[in-house]
Amino acid sequence: MDQGVFYLDKMAKNLFYLILVILLILGAGYFLLGKNNDDPGIIIGEGGEDYQKVVLGIKNYNYYPNTIEVKANQPVRIYLDKSVSGCYRSFTIRELGIAKYLKTPEEYVEFTPTIPGTYGFSCSMGMGRGTMIVK
Amino acid sequence: MSIKDFINSLVNNKAEGELVKTIFISLATSFIVLAVLYFLKLKYIENFIPKYGFYLFFAILSYAIILPSVRYIRAYKEFTCMPGMMIGMTIGMVAGFLSGFYVGSTNGMFIGSIFGIAIGISFGMWNGKCCGIMGAMEGIMAGLMGGIMGAMTAVMMLNDNLKIMGIIIFIISGFVLAGLNYMVYKETRETERRHKDEESFIIFISFILTSLTTWIMVLGPRSILFG
Repeated sequence: MDQGVFYLDKMAKNLFYLILVILLILGAGYFLLGKNNDDPGIIIGEGGEDYQKVVLGIKNYNYYPNTIEVKANQPVRIYLDKSVSGCYRSFTIRELGIAKYLKTPEEYVEFTPTIPGTYGFSCSMGMGRGTMIVK
Repeated sequence: MSIKDFINSLVNNKAEGELVKTIFISLATSFIVLAVLYFLKLKYIENFIPKYGFYLFFAILSYAIILPSVRYIRAYKEFTCMPGMMIGMTIGMVAGFLSGFYVGSTNGMFIGSIFGIAIGISFGMWNGKCCGIMGAMEGIMAGLMGGIMGAMTAVMMLNDNLKIMGIIIFIISGFVLAGLNYMVYKETRETERRHKDEESFIIFISFILTSLTTWIMVLGPRSILFG
């Protein structure tokens, strides 16, 4: 009998702790997980008749802006500014067969997209990513 | 000694009965420390919650699932070689990987690795020594590997569902530690409890871990990419 009472008492205590744990997690989670500051940004290729110029930097550990809009059948030059470092300087557009290490901010990768559509770009390891929309 | 017996034992008055309570004490301590730091200093830091909130939250949850196992293992002090090595490896790997992962997500691979290695090796060696040098060695190696792997995984996933991965890794680690607790339960049925840690022990360790993690994440050095 005594053992039964002890068991129920102990179980109630542990249940109480369990409820407190859940409440703590929910409360702190609501406070700490509520906000997001992701801002992908969009850049539209600019330039004269010769080529469309796009300059990418780094923000939130990714290429910024990470959505590029360019026109089809017109050369595109992509530059990486000085904020881009490490493997992020190894710029790759796999679907177009483009992969180049842009050592300085003056270097660029040039290509002419011919087929409208959406292409992914990334660094060589796939850590930094973005999208290029060809219109 | 089935899993059902183990679950039933979570309400006894022995070491197993302290597991849930320890989670609560660790969580309460950590969130109080974080709340105090937030109102004193952190709320003045731009984008503190969006930038660090998620990772701090899961780092605190990680400590809250590691510390009950630590307290449970310390209650019995000595184990034979095989369980002792398992203890060293599991605690070292989980502690190193989780702390490395969450700090690596905010500070980059170098600082994440160093922090993960430090936490992993400390916990792995401390708990692995329950069976002597073999367990301690296992803990050191697992802590070293876990710390580097955690930070590396985080940095490589920066733009590929990092937060979802953080949740998945936490859940899997929780299951692994539950398995470890069950193993300790099975191994100690013939053994008397040899040590009892007071609640202040958990409060102290949670305080140190949360303060250190917050300080490193927010004010500590970081890689160029995270500048």
